[in-house]
Amino acid sequence: MDKTLSIRSLVKAYGPTHALKGVDLDVPAGSLVTLLGPSGCGKTTLLRSVAGITDPTAGSISIGGNRIDALPPEKRNFGLVFQTYALFPHMNVEKNVAFGLEMRRVPKPEMARRVAAALELVGLGHLGRRLPRELSGGQQQRVALARAIVIEPDVLLFDEPLSNLDAKLRDHLREDLRALQQKFGTTSLYVTHDQAEAMALADEIVVMKDGEIVEKGTPVDLYRRPVYRFTAEFLGMTNVLPAEIRDNSCRLPWGAVRPVENPHERDAEGVAIRPEDIGISAADGNADGTVEQAVFMGAATHYTVRVPDVTLRVVAAGGQSAIFAPGQPVRLNPPNALRLLRSFVPDRALEAAA
Amino acid sequence: MNVSGRVRLSTLLLCLAPGVGFLMIFFGLPLVRVVLRSFSGRGPDDPAFTLDAWIALFANPVYRDGVWFSLWLGIAPTVTSLLVALPLAALMQANKTSRKLFGTLYRIPLVVPGIVAAFLVLVMLDRGGMMTRLLEPLGLSLPKMVRDPWGIGVILASSWKNIPFMTLIISGAMAAISADVLSAARTLGANRLTVLWRVQLPLAQPGITAAVLLTFISSLGSFVVPNLLGPPYPLPLSLHMYTEGFQKGNWPLVYAMGTLLSVMAIAVLLAYYLAIGFVGRNGKAREARA
Repeated sequence: MDKTLSIRSLVKAYGPTHALKGVDLDVPAGSLVTLLGPSGCGKTTLLRSVAGITDPTAGSISIGGNRIDALPPEKRNFGLVFQTYALFPHMNVEKNVAFGLEMRRVPKPEMARRVAAALELVGLGHLGRRLPRELSGGQQQRVALARAIVIEPDVLLFDEPLSNLDAKLRDHLREDLRALQQKFGTTSLYVTHDQAEAMALADEIVVMKDGEIVEKGTPVDLYRRPVYRFTAEFLGMTNVLPAEIRDNSCRLPWGAVRPVENPHERDAEGVAIRPEDIGISAADGNADGTVEQAVFMGAATHYTVRVPDVTLRVVAAGGQSAIFAPGQPVRLNPPNALRLLRSFVPDRALEAAA
Repeated sequence: MNVSGRVRLSTLLLCLAPGVGFLMIFFGLPLVRVVLRSFSGRGPDDPAFTLDAWIALFANPVYRDGVWFSLWLGIAPTVTSLLVALPLAALMQANKTSRKLFGTLYRIPLVVPGIVAAFLVLVMLDRGGMMTRLLEPLGLSLPKMVRDPWGIGVILASSWKNIPFMTLIISGAMAAISADVLSAARTLGANRLTVLWRVQLPLAQPGITAAVLLTFISSLGSFVVPNLLGPPYPLPLSLHMYTEGFQKGNWPLVYAMGTLLSVMAIAVLLAYYLAIGFVGRNGKAREARA
């Protein structure tokens, strides 16, 4: 069966406010799509609507062409992993993982085998008899993951599963999670507000704001060629600079001129330049700007550079490059081509109509 | 014991004194006195220690029936209230609308005193009461529910009074369960009823136990409601205690009945804990075998 998840014109209204304003989204079979956005953008509402925990006001959700939005959550065969782990506190690890199989009336011997296999997969084969409260946060989330995959769900849903874990554990579990998802090829929808997590995990990132999708694309496309200023600023650090366009070229505040890929963009908000795309070098004679602040981060050095009218973030990678001290005049080398950013205007029509 | 140990012990006793001392003086001593007085003679001519009161209590079938009837009037309203309060508490968790609806409704009996509740049942269900007159045109008649031998009227009034307290306590315990845990159970394939049975009830069990305890104790010793709605025979021990004490002056018997009621309460609660513990152990044993 084709396990493509399709969401069409999904609306969720709470009185006059719309948490979702008609969202269209496809999660291709076997791929992992992340919903990325600030809190209150509707990403969790969207995920919970897919899970069946929240009832959408209008629109459709289907899997492999079959509508499921009228089904109760227990009939959908989706696995959901929560930020709060949501393990059953009164059941041990094995019982937690077995719960979904019990509901499906899987015979005892098969159940035991599948529970053991799932726990082995998440590296907790030896902790089956423990109660959730006897486990660390990372272990609890692994149990929750085992509990979600053991039922062989049509779709895996993740609601900020790594947000309650500390940084090191988060990276580790993120890699394991991606490996497992690819191993089983389970269609997955993953909600996060962490852009690094979204880029590391996703086949496709969907950026959301105010109940709408801003734009979607592969991590590389969205990071390197965002259409909207919102995307550019939400995905990593960026400099948005006032652009002076003339003949398909843009003149930057410190005088450098570069060609622009999309000079006829309407609603332009300026050009985006990633900090790591600006070369920084010692000024011999005529300087472009002055270093205001230099933060050595090990793998890279983060600078704040003062140029006429604006401050610029510049990241110089490489272990052996020279480190410029605050006050030092520097030359800046922008990338060879620039792009104009569009401003994102939220759809107010729905709320006006309501 | 060295000096510092003695000092520490005396400090400990001093710290415990306000709490434990209070309990000893106002709870322990009267209880001990009740138990001791049940073994004393009735008049100044009788012996200081006698089993007369206890023999009278167990030898007289009127009192023996009273013991059973007290137990019945303790357990039946508890079970009835629990059967109503559990689904009510669960429904109140289901969504906002039901929380608002039931949240208001269940508070009404909270502010109605027991005696008023008893009179309400009397007015509604007695022969010639409201229900009889309402059902008469339909050719229906109610069974005897007031002063009936099974104490149905007593059970109804007692339950009516206790359901709100039970619901309050149990819904509090259920509200403490994380919504995500319930959602997780749903997505794993459990319908609402299974979630109630497998997740909500086990997790709310301490609250349920507290509610059962409160209802049982208050129903077991209740006086007003059985006095008004109960049958002329058997009478629960609470009514016998009143008659024996204030009308016949047989205080040792009153104390013996009070002691027995307390012992019965403890026995029933021990049985309840044993049952719950057994369920828990059974579950663990099954887990161990799996």
